[in-house]
Amino acid sequence: MTDVLGIYNYWIYVLLMMIGLYGVIAKPNLIKQAIALGLFQTGIFLYYISMAVIDGGTAPIWTTIEHGAQKFQGPYDNPLPHVLILTAIVVSVSVLAVALALIINIKRQYGTIEADEIEAMDLADKARDYVRGQVVDAADDAETKLEGRHHV
Amino acid sequence: MNAVVLIDTLLLLLVTVSAIAIIEVRSLYSSAMLTGVYSLLMALVWVNMHSMDVAFTEAAVGGGISTILLIGTLVHVGREEKPLKKRLHVPALIFTALTGAALIYGTLDMPRFGDPAAPIHHYRVPEMLAQTVGFVNKTPGKQPAPEGFDAQQYRTFDGRVKDIPADPTDTAWRENSPLRTEGLLIPTVPYQHDAHAEPGHHLHPPDDFNGHVPNSVTSLLAAYRGYDTMFETTVIFTAGVSLILLLRRPRREGYLQKGAPLGDQVILRVVTKMSIPFILIFGFYVITHGELGPGGGFQGGVILATAFILYALIFGRPALYRIVPPPVSDVLTGVGVLVYSGTGAACMLLGGKFLDYAFLNTASPGDGEALGMTLVEYGVGITVSMVMLTIFNQLAEEQSK
Repeated sequence: MTDVLGIYNYWIYVLLMMIGLYGVIAKPNLIKQAIALGLFQTGIFLYYISMAVIDGGTAPIWTTIEHGAQKFQGPYDNPLPHVLILTAIVVSVSVLAVALALIINIKRQYGTIEADEIEAMDLADKARDYVRGQVVDAADDAETKLEGRHHV
Repeated sequence: MNAVVLIDTLLLLLVTVSAIAIIEVRSLYSSAMLTGVYSLLMALVWVNMHSMDVAFTEAAVGGGISTILLIGTLVHVGREEKPLKKRLHVPALIFTALTGAALIYGTLDMPRFGDPAAPIHHYRVPEMLAQTVGFVNKTPGKQPAPEGFDAQQYRTFDGRVKDIPADPTDTAWRENSPLRTEGLLIPTVPYQHDAHAEPGHHLHPPDDFNGHVPNSVTSLLAAYRGYDTMFETTVIFTAGVSLILLLRRPRREGYLQKGAPLGDQVILRVVTKMSIPFILIFGFYVITHGELGPGGGFQGGVILATAFILYALIFGRPALYRIVPPPVSDVLTGVGVLVYSGTGAACMLLGGKFLDYAFLNTASPGDGEALGMTLVEYGVGITVSMVMLTIFNQLAEEQSK
């Protein structure tokens, strides 16, 4: 039982990451994908902070508690993962903001934010270009043939 | 089972449920609101794990700013997700299940939750904490190593971990271990009196700059990892610039004359006007006291930004533009980064290395460290608040097209 509780946090981190990953793969909506990426990130944050915990530890702010003649200090949790994650959270909101700006631009350009529709439109564009190219090529061929006949 | 683990277990269950709801709910509005709930639950999880600074940031950023940004975007791109033909994406499910199983198999080798003997607590971290004090490097101008300090022992941590048994299931050693009684991350050096403290003041461990920087998260953030934090501030600055480049359009005539969306709601107006000064004071408090307690430039900057965003939500962005015109906020995003790197350059001019704050006050290095960290935190705070404001302005500008 203690063993299961000992790694329970790591299982939840895996679960959160996988929920995020599932969202990124399965949901074609770009906003959903941006949110799912955020879930993926918080999974990793949980992994880091879980590692920082020490049995009976307290927040890593150095203080001496004095009870009469006795002085108590710590033990403290590890502050390093806290530092890494605190900056990572602020960077993650910046990433989200840039993603949202790009999504707005995509909406402006395509009129939709569903990844599969965007893909279909790109594909249709490509097909249209290809067919147009074929037609132009055929016309060019016909023209050169015509010109050749003229010269002869 | 102790209280931390019990609360942790329950909170993480709730977090998982809300994560699934965020992904599966069809309305994007509900999804955005649920991310706010999710972030607040996450903040509680961080508090439960004694990670106060992270909880602070999560509550301000995740619960506040990112929800507003998402909703601001939804107004523009539509609030409903296209209905899917199949509810369950089977290949994705199989792929994530396999990846998750592999990762869970990997966690079996992880140290148990809360194990003080885990390698992460013994490799490098004691050295980093020592380095923030400065006496490992014996840099001139910093305090000398206290009597009885063995740098080699501090560096390798051998003296403190040699009694850990090889068998990880044997936990009896912890009861008698010095790790338990002295505090894991406090070095075995005698406490000393702060020369500048009033009589009867506490004795301090040497890690906290003679009592000037008790929050070790801030001292790691601004001193040992000072370069890293500086460039993270630059990343945020870059995000602000990207938003301007991606979304800003030439101003139309008369953009300042538009009415306020919620300005006729008397209660909202009065409550907003009453609460904004307190939000601003709280933001400045969090930035200024970052080295004493939880908080710092990142958290305080976001809180300052929320005051401006609240004003814009109630009285309209034109009103906000009269207080903070876009050119001013644009310039201030850069000024914050400049304050940060300028503090580093000032340390160089005073004879130290880049970001070697002790040189700001050689008579009392502890004071110098605290001063340098406060300046740096203000730099971070200015950049973060102004970038958040710029991001909000750009995303909101789109909807009122």
